[in-house]
Amino acid sequence: MSFTTPQGVEPFIVSKFFYNKEAAALDYYMKHDGYAAAKKSLAMTPDDVIAEVKKSNLRGRGGAGFPTGMKWSFIPKQSSVPKYVVCNADESEPGTFKDRAIMTYSPHMLIEGMIIAGHAIGSHIGFIYIRGEYVREAEMLEKAIDDAYAKGVLGNKVLGTDFKFDLYVHRGAGAYICGEETGLLNSLEGKRGEPRVKPPFPAIKGAFGGPTVVNNVETLAAIPWIMTNGGEAYAKMGKFPNSGGTRLFCVSGHVNKPGLYEFPVGSVTIRELIYNYCGGILNNRKLRAVIPGGSSAPVLAPHELDIPLDVEPMMKAGTMLGSCGVIVIDESFPLVKAIRVITHFYAHESCGQCTPCREGTRWMEDVIYRIENGKGTLKDVELLSNIAANINGKTLCALGDAAAGPVASFVAKFRSDFEDLIRGGHNA
Amino acid sequence: MPKCTIDGKEYEFKPGETIIQLADRVGAIKIPRYCYHPALSVVAQCRMCAVEVEKMPKLQTACSTPCAEGMVVKTASPKVKEMQSSVMEFLLINHPLDCPICDKSGECDLQDYSYEYGAADSRYDEQRRTYIDLDMGPVIKKNMNRCIHCTRCIRFCDEVGGYREMIAMKRGNSTEITTSDGKPLETDYAGNLADVCPTGSLTLKEFRFKKRAWMLKKTPSVCEGCSKGCNISIHHEGGTVYRLLPRENQEINKYWLCDEGRFNFHHVNSETRIVEPAVKDGSSLKMTDWKSAVSKAKELAKGNVLVLVGTDLTNEEITDIKKFADTNLKGAALYHFGTPGVTKTSDDKAADKLLKRTSKTANLNGAEKLGLKPYTGEKSGATIVFTGGRAVLPQGISGTVIGVGVFEKEDAAKFEVVLPGLTYAEKNGTVVNYEGREQKFQKSIDPKGKSKAVSDVVKLWV
Repeated sequence: MSFTTPQGVEPFIVSKFFYNKEAAALDYYMKHDGYAAAKKSLAMTPDDVIAEVKKSNLRGRGGAGFPTGMKWSFIPKQSSVPKYVVCNADESEPGTFKDRAIMTYSPHMLIEGMIIAGHAIGSHIGFIYIRGEYVREAEMLEKAIDDAYAKGVLGNKVLGTDFKFDLYVHRGAGAYICGEETGLLNSLEGKRGEPRVKPPFPAIKGAFGGPTVVNNVETLAAIPWIMTNGGEAYAKMGKFPNSGGTRLFCVSGHVNKPGLYEFPVGSVTIRELIYNYCGGILNNRKLRAVIPGGSSAPVLAPHELDIPLDVEPMMKAGTMLGSCGVIVIDESFPLVKAIRVITHFYAHESCGQCTPCREGTRWMEDVIYRIENGKGTLKDVELLSNIAANINGKTLCALGDAAAGPVASFVAKFRSDFEDLIRGGHNA
Repeated sequence: MPKCTIDGKEYEFKPGETIIQLADRVGAIKIPRYCYHPALSVVAQCRMCAVEVEKMPKLQTACSTPCAEGMVVKTASPKVKEMQSSVMEFLLINHPLDCPICDKSGECDLQDYSYEYGAADSRYDEQRRTYIDLDMGPVIKKNMNRCIHCTRCIRFCDEVGGYREMIAMKRGNSTEITTSDGKPLETDYAGNLADVCPTGSLTLKEFRFKKRAWMLKKTPSVCEGCSKGCNISIHHEGGTVYRLLPRENQEINKYWLCDEGRFNFHHVNSETRIVEPAVKDGSSLKMTDWKSAVSKAKELAKGNVLVLVGTDLTNEEITDIKKFADTNLKGAALYHFGTPGVTKTSDDKAADKLLKRTSKTANLNGAEKLGLKPYTGEKSGATIVFTGGRAVLPQGISGTVIGVGVFEKEDAAKFEVVLPGLTYAEKNGTVVNYEGREQKFQKSIDPKGKSKAVSDVVKLWV
């Protein structure tokens, strides 16, 4: 994977060191004001740190977009059991590859964010739960952590203060569901990677029964900037209320310049992103569909591209910003095949605990497969939307919704693609 | 107490109580469920118990949602019914629908709820999922194709049975519930898996194809397997006992029954049980009528008679025997027997962490309370042994032996006279468990053959 820098856009917060091979080193990071934010934060009270993060309007970058400062404030001040900071580096949503770049080029930015989070919630132990496939990234994180211990950045006296913080890398074994925060916690504890019943929420009873904050890599990597430059400056970058800072967009699919792009959140529309920054559609073909927020986001048709890329506008448009994995599909790729591949993924990754997801995801896949192979009936199209509706909002965790949303939207917006195949047309 | 409203009616709830707990406690509200079991942890994964809670956008699972002051719950709104019907459809698309040959049929939650909440037809045209089943040991027969992945069995083993021996393998649609490494079950409580399983996925090997569930009559009783006094239900038909099931009693056995107690009924139906009066003729016992057997017994019971009373007998029977001995066997010495090595209630200990006791009869405590002393090997010319069939006959009885009660032919081979008596399934009575709890139980089936109650035998003797 090579990362392309968009022309005319300066990488500024989390992508500050992207493509710079030296930047992963602790010395380099230190020379460029690294860990200054942690030092500053450790001199502040935990409440002040949380207040600053609240001010920044930073929303979780993993997909759900929950306000980070608020999440931190849910952690009880007093706890008889240890509290934990867990970084969700499971990055498993298809179409998403931003956390990988952060861990490759700025592992210390993440570590610094975790130290600040630990101080803010009163936790002395952090875990980075990284997806099993990220072997090189895990090794790089291990190295960064070793270096940090050697330099006194981690350990019993973080940066010369009395604050103690230990950090561990925990590798997953390759399950999408372990990106769901409670599935992640179960896996971290050595249990089967299955989401838990909520309540209790992780903030009250998370890893090993202790109050736990689970934050995405990009979320934590943004913390040092916020603490250095102030929450207000970060909040100001956002174009919509209650959503501040920048976001990394992972553009893949049929565009001329796929890659990572960092923008102030809400400042560009999908159309601008594709045509102004990503060089338009490959080989000048026509755009057919865009999946805007990782494969679980409901699909958008070509006439729906003038939506600013932020949480609220996307939600209003019936889809979601999710993990900002923008997948662009042009006319050369059969859409029924696209949704079959996506549905196969969710059926394959369903943990199998709850009924609608375990049974429904596979059923949808089977029906789509039949349609794709010319063995469908018109009734099947109706059946598909109905199965999706019976899964949506009715499962134990969000995986059900992640599987149902795309199917429902593909059927609603590209119904003729399905019907053509049923009536004997070609899959095109 | 705080209040919430369910289906338009206000109920008081205990702090921390979930919607399903409240519904079960008040009884009038019916919420279907598969994965929820009151004695197991809550996983909220079957989704069948979903209810509508006002002000919450999504349906909530009643098993995992605590009641809250002023909460308004609907358990049968159109949204709820739609969800119930969709869950039923999802559960049935891969179910073999082999009710006609399934032992669970007639007492199956999947069947009952399908009738009540499901659709009459299926929209499923794909190939059904199938599994190959590994053996799970002597107690449980697994049929994974029928499984609805409620995980009650896994949680039972983890949380009650004492061994973490059932697990979910693979994931998603291929999830398989199995013993770890496909090993046979080790728990002594395996039979409960068939009880907690809401479908025919885990059934009792013993009961397989023996009887349709709806043909069985059910009589409440008390297990005679040990001094715990677990409450059971005897399932019988046509004078045959087919199975024993635990009956809920929160103070004794909760919902459970050990395998030893569960399968302690074979002696009732046994073909080698002596059910006619018998008198020794030469070297073997010969069946005869009551009159001649009793007069033979009377003739033999002369001098210092030793009377041994099994602690598997009821208080009523022991009282009758005492009265009988006082008036008809002057000077007879009475002792109780039952479990080798456990002769006093004070020696009777818990044999495991769940239910089992070391005294393997139901009424050691009752016999003690009625003044009997343990048998310690006293000898006599003539001995009368009374037993209900569970007590272990003491070693070293010599001389003439007259057996009154339940005997296998082999056990009574050296007896002079056998007067056939009743098993726990054939009589009413009272037993006292290890902690002094008196429990009455009822007769389930008519006495086998010509067997008679102790009270009737005593009357004939007089």
